[in-house]
Amino acid sequence: MDKVLTTCVYCGCGCGLFLHVEDGRIVGVSPSPMHPMSKGRLCIKGWLAGDFVSHPDRLKFPMVRREDRFARVSWDEAISIIKRKFREISDKSGPDSLGVLTSAKGTNEENYLLAKLARAGLKTNNVDHVARLCHAPTVVGLGYAFGSGAMTNPISSLAHADVILIVGSNTAEQHPLVASYILEAKANGAKLIVADPRKVQLADLADLHLKPKPGSDVAWINAFLNVIIQDGLINERFIIERTEGFEAVKQSVSVYTPELAESISGVNAQDLRKAAIIFGSAERCAIVYAMGITQHIAGTDNVQALANLSLATGNIGLDGTGLYPLRGHQNVQGSCDMGALPEFYPGYQKVSDAREKFQQAWGTDLPDRPGLTALEMMAAAENGNLKGLLVVGENPVISFPDTYRIKNALNLLDFLMVMDIFPTETTELADVVLPCASFAEKNGTFTSTERRVQRVRSAVAPPGEAKEEWRVINELICQLGIASCYSGPEEIMAEIASVTPIYGGIDYGRLDVNGIHWPCPDRNHDGTPILHNERFPINRARFRPVEYIDPYELINDDYPLILTTGRSLYHFHTGTMTRRTSLLDREVPVPFVEINSDDALAMGIRNGQRIIVETRRGQLFLDARITADISEGTIFVPFHFTEAPANVLTNWALDSQSKISELKVSAARIRRPEDDRFSG
Amino acid sequence: MIVFLAKDKLPALLSELNEMLEVVAPVRIGNDTAFATWVGQPIDFEKNPQISPTEFLLPQREVLFKYIQHSGRYVFEEVEPKSKLILGMRPCDLNAVKVLDKIFGTEPFDKLYFRRRRSAILAVLNCSKPEETCFCSHLGAGPECIDGFDLLFTELDSGYLIESGSSVGMLILKEHSDLFQEVKSVYLAEKNERISKAKETLNSRPNLSKDKIMGALETADWESMGNNCLSCGGCTFVCPICHCFNILDLGVPDGERLRCRDSCILSGFSRMAGGVNPRKSAGERIRNWYFDKFQFIPENTGLLGCVGCGRCISVCLASMDRWSLKVPR
Ligand code: SF4
Ligand code: SF4
Repeated sequence: MDKVLTTCVYCGCGCGLFLHVEDGRIVGVSPSPMHPMSKGRLCIKGWLAGDFVSHPDRLKFPMVRREDRFARVSWDEAISIIKRKFREISDKSGPDSLGVLTSAKGTNEENYLLAKLARAGLKTNNVDHVARLCHAPTVVGLGYAFGSGAMTNPISSLAHADVILIVGSNTAEQHPLVASYILEAKANGAKLIVADPRKVQLADLADLHLKPKPGSDVAWINAFLNVIIQDGLINERFIIERTEGFEAVKQSVSVYTPELAESISGVNAQDLRKAAIIFGSAERCAIVYAMGITQHIAGTDNVQALANLSLATGNIGLDGTGLYPLRGHQNVQGSCDMGALPEFYPGYQKVSDAREKFQQAWGTDLPDRPGLTALEMMAAAENGNLKGLLVVGENPVISFPDTYRIKNALNLLDFLMVMDIFPTETTELADVVLPCASFAEKNGTFTSTERRVQRVRSAVAPPGEAKEEWRVINELICQLGIASCYSGPEEIMAEIASVTPIYGGIDYGRLDVNGIHWPCPDRNHDGTPILHNERFPINRARFRPVEYIDPYELINDDYPLILTTGRSLYHFHTGTMTRRTSLLDREVPVPFVEINSDDALAMGIRNGQRIIVETRRGQLFLDARITADISEGTIFVPFHFTEAPANVLTNWALDSQSKISELKVSAARIRRPEDDRFSG
Repeated sequence: MIVFLAKDKLPALLSELNEMLEVVAPVRIGNDTAFATWVGQPIDFEKNPQISPTEFLLPQREVLFKYIQHSGRYVFEEVEPKSKLILGMRPCDLNAVKVLDKIFGTEPFDKLYFRRRRSAILAVLNCSKPEETCFCSHLGAGPECIDGFDLLFTELDSGYLIESGSSVGMLILKEHSDLFQEVKSVYLAEKNERISKAKETLNSRPNLSKDKIMGALETADWESMGNNCLSCGGCTFVCPICHCFNILDLGVPDGERLRCRDSCILSGFSRMAGGVNPRKSAGERIRNWYFDKFQFIPENTGLLGCVGCGRCISVCLASMDRWSLKVPR
């Protein structure tokens, strides 16, 4: 038995683990005790991360759609079809009728190559990935506020906080290793404040649990800051020396009294005051947030509201302080870093500023027309402007909002090519499907939520004719006439380092077993665990006043409930991997809807009863899970399940700044199937 | 029989053994030490690996047989395990093997476990370097190994004392006698000294005897432990005695029947078809985990279900102090 040290494929924590290999197969997983962050611990998904790899459902051969079924073809044939199709579409409708969705599950090297394929090969800036639906507001919001849209401190820094404010993050289930450091802080005496409409596990352990209505965050966060300012708990020195724009924020939050916030968000004014005073009085405060903050039409404003709070209290740049946007996928940070975003080249270099540099580096001319974001591409497909799409390791049919609309958009494309490891709801719609290597079958790097660039190591060979994505993309780039002949991921990383200042010193030899936190500008630099400790990349951090706006969909008599979506500890996203892991699927085998117990009583719904959940876009049959852990008037549906895809219900109203959609708020109603019999 | 092996001769011995069987040993991988197949890597006896070598007797994931459709009928193929020599298993883990032998040896006798068990030669390492979390001596499971081994190594300054404890062990020592030296009495004295030192270290730690633990179980606050538990299952996955498994068939029409480790910390483990769960809360499941080790396994096998290896302490994601049964607060 061989044991191969690598990085977990699930969440952004980036735990170190061993894959146990025997006779070319994965027979087990164990943690790496010396991993600098996870230290010999894993969550349940990590412990079982090897299970899906040899699942018989794995895609093994390239396939092409012939009428209504797929036919197996050779790699050569598949590639030549793709090349021909891309050419045809580009010649007829222009390069911007093509688009690429890259994979946050892929490596940095693969994301880099995909972005290069889009820009240098296909000549379009239409390249995006699932960050658009998770932390695009963070990239935009913290990019503006601090000059860097990433987590400011390493995860372990949380253990040294005096107060931790957790907003819209079910940390214990979604980022268990982060939760372990929060528990450590609590054991050291730190106070926990949790803001979440659901009584998530950490809310239960918290000193205070605030329960804002989904979509009301700016209101209560502004009031929170207002209390701190009123009580003189701000850090004036920090504000004066390191920031700009505080006065405008002070002005704007002054109208947000706790009482006003209560009337908008439902957060008890007393509790809010108490929480603000605890936060304002403490030495070191950390703010942890996730999708509960970002997946709103006010997503970017929500992020700024939290940034305002950190800045006003001077909680940036030191151990135990900081802002912790928890990134979902194990490499969604890296995908953003690699420029799998329409407006940025690798390392957040703006297309508008760095085009010349990349034309030189890639030896070809690059498009300057602005690219489309993920949902804008879907809209362009709907109206016929986007005709060809390459989707890699992503399952938009299940993960994007408003499933029916997405399916329709994908069906309208002339050409859809999907690369994945398993058949998904999206491969079903594809014209060409290419089988890929899983994380256990390739070399490369992932960048975790704490900006730690770490190695991924191949433990077994891909099944059948499946190939590592980088090989396939490399081939496609060559076919499109761009010189691109990498011998392997290490060489790709060398190129990344040469064009990406924040990755300048990243090199496989240096990553070794501990990884390196970017920014790491050169080979002599040890990396930067804590950002902004002396200065911000933009010199002075920027306050910006933000005002509360209503969510896109408001409840009314027809749709009286707020529907919010999320994940379970035991599943990951669209379930392609976790639903093929028997112990995980056994934990949560069926889709469900959480309903507040008083609401359920009033509606005459029993626990376990099959009910209908409806929004303006669609309906689902779901088993009711009745619980006191969710606020009245709110219902929760996890989005992992193909048999009841939650996104049938959600809406894709966009945040104008970051183009994320408001997945966390939809107006909904519930019916019991038996009621239909009477009403006809 | 007892011999002495100079340190620099260890690779030679392993190479010779490697010709006949697969040698499994604690080796360095990155900064870690883990049991893996020895193919010439440096051996690391400094640390007790987090995953016990019992995984070679009861793998995390094992193919019980393959089923293949053949002209309308199914044929079944079994896979024979390779013969192994497991070097560097510590006394705690050997004691765990004794418990597993009892559990899998009672009716219905587990053929597959014993197929692996019989094809494994256990070369145990007397423990002179307890980890910070170890408490084997409090439960009579270490640091010295008395019986049950095929070979017993004790690390000394200049080499290893190797004792045989079975006919296979003796055969090995005889077959490779050219590598060994005669045992001097100073070696035996050094062995005793090392073991007493380890004992001393372990015994100076807070008392975690069976009675003490049983007492703590009576008053433990299961509910708060459950509220803190992050349901990672780590305590069951690292325990050398935890042995629960699940069986599943993968693949249609041809495929494999697998035996995979399971965990009583997961709610699905005890949930019944109708959704009723006799151990509904995390606290109740943790309570069951402890009582299994200190009450049910002893009742069924006469042996304690814990050997004090301490692995469940360092693996706990919620950093619970597992043996004072306190939650971090
Ligand atoms: S916490 Fe995240 S990275 Fe760590 S084991 Fe779990 S899923 Fe993997
Ligand atoms: S219960 Fe803990 S200390 Fe006891 S044998 Fe199992 S892992 Fe080791």
